[in-house]
Amino acid sequence: MTNEASSTVVTEVACPFCGLACDDLSVDTAGEALAVVGGGCAKAQAGFARLGVSHDGASARVGGQPASLEVACAEVARRVKASAQPVFAGMALDVSGMREVMELADAAGGVVDHLYSEIGWRSTRVVQDVGYVTTTLAEVKNRADLIVLVGTDVVSKASRFFERYVWNDEAMFEPAPAARRIVYLGGGLNTAAGQSPDGRAPEVFDFDRARMPEALSTLNALLAKQPVSEAAPLGIELARWQALADALRAAKYSVLVWIAGDFEPSQVDLNINAIMSAVRTLNVSTRSNGLGLGGADGELNASMVHAWQTGYPMRTSFASGIPLYDPVHNGTARLVEQGETDTVVWISALNDKTPPPPEAKVVIAPPTLKLEHEPEVFIPVSTPGVHHVGHFFRGDKGAALPLRALRATRLPSAAKVAAAITAQLKEVSA
Amino acid sequence: MSVIKLTGGRVIDPANGINDQVRDIYVKDGRIVAALADGDKVSAEYNVSGRVVMSGAIDMHTHIGGGKVNIAREMLPEDHRGDPVARTEITRSSCGYCAPGTLAAGYRYAEMGYTSCFEPAIIPMNARQAHMEMGDTPIIDTGGYAMLGSDDFLLRMLVANEDQKSINDYVAWILHSTQTLGIKVVNPGGISAFKFNQRKLDLDEQNAYYGVTPRRIIQTLTRAVHELGVPHPLHVHASNLGVAGNVDTTLATMEAAEGRPIHMTHIQFHSYGTEGDRKFSSGAARIAEAINRHKNVSADVGQVLFGQTVTASGDNMSQYRNAAFASPKKSAVMDIEMEAGCGVVPFKYKDQNFVNALQWAIGLEIFLMVDDPWRIFLTTDHPNGAPFTTYPHLIKLLTDRSFRNAMLDTINPDAKAMSNLAALEREYSLYEIAIMTRAAPARILGLTDRGHLAPGAAADIVVYTENADRERMFEKPDLVFKDGELVVRDGKVVKVVRGNTHVVKPEFDRGIEKKIEPYFRRFHSVRMNNFKISDDELCECGGGSKLIPHACGKRS
Repeated sequence: MTNEASSTVVTEVACPFCGLACDDLSVDTAGEALAVVGGGCAKAQAGFARLGVSHDGASARVGGQPASLEVACAEVARRVKASAQPVFAGMALDVSGMREVMELADAAGGVVDHLYSEIGWRSTRVVQDVGYVTTTLAEVKNRADLIVLVGTDVVSKASRFFERYVWNDEAMFEPAPAARRIVYLGGGLNTAAGQSPDGRAPEVFDFDRARMPEALSTLNALLAKQPVSEAAPLGIELARWQALADALRAAKYSVLVWIAGDFEPSQVDLNINAIMSAVRTLNVSTRSNGLGLGGADGELNASMVHAWQTGYPMRTSFASGIPLYDPVHNGTARLVEQGETDTVVWISALNDKTPPPPEAKVVIAPPTLKLEHEPEVFIPVSTPGVHHVGHFFRGDKGAALPLRALRATRLPSAAKVAAAITAQLKEVSA
Repeated sequence: MSVIKLTGGRVIDPANGINDQVRDIYVKDGRIVAALADGDKVSAEYNVSGRVVMSGAIDMHTHIGGGKVNIAREMLPEDHRGDPVARTEITRSSCGYCAPGTLAAGYRYAEMGYTSCFEPAIIPMNARQAHMEMGDTPIIDTGGYAMLGSDDFLLRMLVANEDQKSINDYVAWILHSTQTLGIKVVNPGGISAFKFNQRKLDLDEQNAYYGVTPRRIIQTLTRAVHELGVPHPLHVHASNLGVAGNVDTTLATMEAAEGRPIHMTHIQFHSYGTEGDRKFSSGAARIAEAINRHKNVSADVGQVLFGQTVTASGDNMSQYRNAAFASPKKSAVMDIEMEAGCGVVPFKYKDQNFVNALQWAIGLEIFLMVDDPWRIFLTTDHPNGAPFTTYPHLIKLLTDRSFRNAMLDTINPDAKAMSNLAALEREYSLYEIAIMTRAAPARILGLTDRGHLAPGAAADIVVYTENADRERMFEKPDLVFKDGELVVRDGKVVKVVRGNTHVVKPEFDRGIEKKIEPYFRRFHSVRMNNFKISDDELCECGGGSKLIPHACGKRS
């Protein structure tokens, strides 16, 4: 997949460093570190550069001392075997890494919890309460005529959203991309990317984003043709809210975009529910869709695999031998706080920035992860899409992208480590 | 080398014309052989005398993997709580009744004697997820049908009046790129029409943007599949799903195939008339008569059975409409990637509800009035009509008239009065059940080494103790072998193996990529090369599944 036989540049590389999973990157493999030379963004450049080295010399440690992979895995197996309910946290993994952790968690009678589950379970609750009407990125690229960004600028988390899916050179259907109408709900957002290529500024409803439930209530009331008594809800004159409601009704394919992690945690399900209410009202007469973007750090790899293998979303306990789902009860922080787990195993192959919680006695992560405390066991692993092939679910649930192996390393993948621990665990049991 | 002998069983193997003959079966290294060679030593012998021996059952239409199924799982924790699968020494924990986890689904299918299952609605862009889920479905073989017909690439080709050969090349390219076994069309053109705010699309109604009719899509795709020599005919989920009076659309859709092979899926949901006070009646007699007359037509039933389930379909136009009937009250509807869509709506079929009860009767009427068991398939369109675990109950309804009539007496009396079910005397024989659950699905999918027990076949074998109560008999086989390995004993998994993935790879002109590549670059969200799934990648998605390609005999 190189431009020419002699080139060291690999093209059409998919990026695992945010939920957009852009697959148009060109990565130069010539240097000591991988270099993004086409496509990509600052996060991609930094990610490939930082993780895209061979990690020569990194070794597993037990009690702070170098140990073989076998010894380290055996030590982890011993610890999870002895634990009544180990928690497998972090989970910034590709699909195969998650698959192997699931087998381990089941055998160990544990719980699996992604680093964004505290937001994620509230999002999932909306599906369980009312469901949704949503769309995916290719539809946005070709159909969207009005895009409302609800409490998010998207670009702070997924920087190429406008470049790749809004301000395109062409779309299959009307309107031309440059004529798209962009509206931001909420203040304090980076709205620069919402400016059209011909210089048209986006509309901004500037209010305190912690008051998003009020904003969405106002909009829903107007969409439902109910009276709103305030002259200026959230300090914005009612006529502007009315104009937005009218524009949504007149649009042929409006899209309401959110990122759950950009909402106040306590408002996540409330806000998404309200967005869905607006979308459902609009779909009586026209087409309108939600677009929830997430998926960074393999969030969807974890949630998808967990759901398809067990039936349940994450935060399910396997301690009793059958899956028991309770997303409030089974959060890592709560289990640690209440003393319901004595073993936190942090596994993260894609993220080397988020520090594991201090309770994590086992850390399985890239060697570039800076640790505040030496854990009792540390196992360095390679990164999917950098060192080994894998799969990554994009944040809109529209596609799973194939990840490439671009840099050789002697480090094992997280999948291999998890499988080795499971094998040891079964040996301990047998 | 492993050599197995099954001694003295009553073999029912319709593909080879064998009806209840006592025969020994030899299995060598996963394949059935005629006899042992000199020096072969039997490593395991099973005395199955007096017991019924069939090949492993094949479900040719079951929603077991892919995005919409996973939405259903996430949506319905209340479904799963009552149906856990406990971890054992050899199996993992999982759960779910109508939307089970892949692990639960694989174990349960195997425990019912099913050894191959096919996901009928793979969105090309999301084929990886479908293959990953099927790869995590233990024991059984899998495969799927790629959805076309509302994809903008094909619709643009039709508008541009591209020749049939180019369309055939595109269809073949999709089969290769998605690693699938057939092509399905769902509400032809209707999923696209819904994105343009059309709420219904009849067979001869035009898509508001493209001007293309469902009839033209059916004509073009039946021809493409036929000319490429893909064994499985175009798999058609017709227009107007669930709408009273849709029997006319369904009959016209059969005609639209112009004599070429066409498979009408979950036809029960497309067999409704408008007679009676409630303007809802059975169209089963007309449907069965048409199937009996048109030898190019086959169908699976999509039987409704009473209880809680969830409907999961690519037909988001219909599912958006059906969301009004959701129970519990929630639904998920998606437009997906300029190719397709999906809709997930939980549903409870009630025996005292007139419409639900009549749906139940209509499905059974179709089963009993279609003469040829080689062209009618036993499905509930899992989970849309009912979960697959109800198959043994369905078999009892088909094989036992007195049981069927006793059930009929308990349903909504107005529905009973509207049905001719009581008058239908037919009882399916074991031979006919073996046809519709083994021999016929293998034949219609082109699986030459499955669905039968002749030498050379894969040793997917099921042994039952005969029981006059066919539900008891089929829910718990004595022995199930998968590729020669004993995987189930007395209805319980005793060994977990990994199934194979079945695909077709028709010949085509790769020059079509010159048209496809720029389309992806201009309009899609990924690059063409990242859309295609290679053989190596498929095996990784499948967690190490073996790829089995099936032959296509090109016809143009």
